[in-house]
Amino acid sequence: MNRILSLVKIDLNTTFGLSAIQYKFRSKQDRWQTIILIIAILSLLPSYYMIVYGLSEMYEAYFNIGQKSMFLLTGVLITQLIVFFFGILYVMSKYYFSNDLNVLVPLPIRSREIVGAKFISLMVNEYLTSLPIILPFIVIYGVKGNEGILYWVYSIIPILFIPVIPLALSSVIVMLLMKYTNIKGKKDLLRIVGYFLLIIIALTVQFEIQSVIQNSIMSEEDLFLQLITDSNLFVRKLGMIFPPSMWGALSLSNYFNVTGFLHSLLFIGVSIGIFLIMLYLSEKVFFDGLIGNLEVGTSNGSGKVKSTDFRKKLPVFLAIGLKEIKVLIRTPVYLLNSIGVVVLVPILFVMPTYMGGDHFMKQLNMIISGNPNLISLIGSGMIILLGIMNCVGCTTFSREGRNFWIQRTIPIRAKDQIFGRVLSSLFVQLIGISVLLGSIAYMGMITIDSIFWISILGLLGSIAMAELGMLVDIFRPLLDWDNPQKAMKQNLNVLIAMSVGALYLLGVGFLVYKLLGKMNMLFIYCIIGGIFIISSFGFYILLRRMIERQFLILE
Amino acid sequence: MLKLQNISKTYSKGKVKAVDDISLHINPGEIFGFLGPNGAGKTTTINMMVGLLKPDSGNIYIDGIDIWQNPVQAKKQISFVPDTPEIYDKLKGIEYLNFIADVYDIPKDVRQERMEKYLGIFNLKNVVGDIIGSYSHGMKQKLSLISALIHEPKLFILDEPMVGLDPKSSFQLKEIMRQRCDEEKTVFFSTHVLEVAEKLCDRIAIINKGKIIALGTMEELRSHAVEKESLENIFLELTENE
Repeated sequence: MNRILSLVKIDLNTTFGLSAIQYKFRSKQDRWQTIILIIAILSLLPSYYMIVYGLSEMYEAYFNIGQKSMFLLTGVLITQLIVFFFGILYVMSKYYFSNDLNVLVPLPIRSREIVGAKFISLMVNEYLTSLPIILPFIVIYGVKGNEGILYWVYSIIPILFIPVIPLALSSVIVMLLMKYTNIKGKKDLLRIVGYFLLIIIALTVQFEIQSVIQNSIMSEEDLFLQLITDSNLFVRKLGMIFPPSMWGALSLSNYFNVTGFLHSLLFIGVSIGIFLIMLYLSEKVFFDGLIGNLEVGTSNGSGKVKSTDFRKKLPVFLAIGLKEIKVLIRTPVYLLNSIGVVVLVPILFVMPTYMGGDHFMKQLNMIISGNPNLISLIGSGMIILLGIMNCVGCTTFSREGRNFWIQRTIPIRAKDQIFGRVLSSLFVQLIGISVLLGSIAYMGMITIDSIFWISILGLLGSIAMAELGMLVDIFRPLLDWDNPQKAMKQNLNVLIAMSVGALYLLGVGFLVYKLLGKMNMLFIYCIIGGIFIISSFGFYILLRRMIERQFLILE
Repeated sequence: MLKLQNISKTYSKGKVKAVDDISLHINPGEIFGFLGPNGAGKTTTINMMVGLLKPDSGNIYIDGIDIWQNPVQAKKQISFVPDTPEIYDKLKGIEYLNFIADVYDIPKDVRQERMEKYLGIFNLKNVVGDIIGSYSHGMKQKLSLISALIHEPKLFILDEPMVGLDPKSSFQLKEIMRQRCDEEKTVFFSTHVLEVAEKLCDRIAIINKGKIIALGTMEELRSHAVEKESLENIFLELTENE
């Protein structure tokens, strides 16, 4: 146990850079960074407030049909699903791709101790994801329903245990995936394909179960009678999507009786049980998946070079763009977080509408036929949002990491840096646009107009977003990392860029909303395009100055 | 070719003087050795010369161009090989070399000829199609050297270049350094291997605690030292007295 604790301590310290923060806080420049970070977090507050407001409306809706426990289930379910999906990504890089493994593996430690320590450290990380989601649900339920003191005491259990089951499950899945894809030569490809399949299968299963249950509830003859007599009806039925979430919700909504107590016990018991099973399994499979991973493979001259390979000449910006794209595609963590996001998000967006059945599609068609431009507007908005979510721009310098010296000692103009790096972001965006257009076509709602506007406005807006991200990243690049995951997912620049980007997009969206119906749609499109072009140019000027300045003063 | 004018650099808010008012003037066609114990300020000085670290005061000119005023122009004249070869692990050797050649705008024919020449010298021809991540430390070091030689820089700056190289490659590198000087190009390198400095360098500077404590040809250094036999003795005498 002592070993696990000391491993956890070291892991938390390196993950969150506690010692580095202490050291850094003394310098003026870093204090500025803290202030900017606080501003960025504050700028997220309006959106967060809107979400919380929406949630309290949701509580009212459930309350009115006598199913307020459903509100808690929604909270627990969303939190656990998000922890699960993020978990798969985090677990993969934390268990298998972090550099400390080279140090840990030769030490006389058992794999369950390594996995246990990494799990706990990930748990702490996951609280940062889970708390902002689950807390509003618990607080709104408690305050609006005037729940007693026991409720608040009970609420500690789901808050603490919420990430355990999804994280343990994702650990098990990843460990098995890594063991069985550990095939020489093809493992990176297999793992990426495996990851995508996993997500798609998991989502399909979720939606299928959901729609089956929904249909079964709706088709029950005495539904209204049951609603009145059983205040946990929805939870019991819909909770089957992910039973642990149901136990969590029922433990809290029945805090005043034995059912609540028993469900609490069940929730805790199963959490600990799955955690122990995961540890047991780690003894059997962890090293099998890992060992091949640590072998970088020795250079054996298998990569053939043709004489023409020596004669490929490109303009500087294109050389940078191509280098960026190659590194992006060949590093699994980057690939999943950039191209993975732009592929999955549009599919996720379309899937519920498809799974919702004919009824849903009819409603959607009605809304769309009222304003056919909605598809183009929402589509291009989504592409622009992906432009910041793909993390390519806002981590472009951070991803250089210890190789950053190369960029700083060779003669590259800031202009070429910008063009090349924006190009790599646009490459990812083009994939996103294709998937989105494909998804819209799949729903049978595509028109030539929407293809044109989504592509043009989407790309123009993506340039602005990529530049905005690069501005954030060059201001405080995170270069000192040992695991590519840190450059992309644990990089605060992503959060800062996302919040600034969201504000920008909200602003443009608000303007469009105000203009809708007041002028010809073509004018509105031109205005949006104009805004993107002008802001891209403005960001470009700023970025050029920032790159020239930062390349000189960074240490 | 390279002129350092009163450069200083401090860390920890001025408490630690890493480099203290250094001035150097290195001529075209010269091999210049930069010696000093660990933590003396060698890498800090080199980092300031190549644009990685801004000096607190002083100027650095490369072929008359101030590297901090006109960085892109100055960097076209130099190439740099750091002590640890951190190169893009996910690129193939050939891709990295082409990337560097693109940045320096080397024509197709010229780059092919130079790449083949240096890949042959450093025995990397067979593995240049492999991912850099699969290279050994020494192979990465050699690739870093080849990429630095591809544009035939006027000033070749190397930080501890012999570390990690096998004896043959080390010998080849020394030959290349000599040839460059014969072509009136300049080489500046730091090293711990005193024999290399003694045999190869036209002039040597010894830095300790951020200050240059000795500068000149081997003969000049000998004339100032009590123990005159080898550079090792001179080095030990000077750095211990400090």
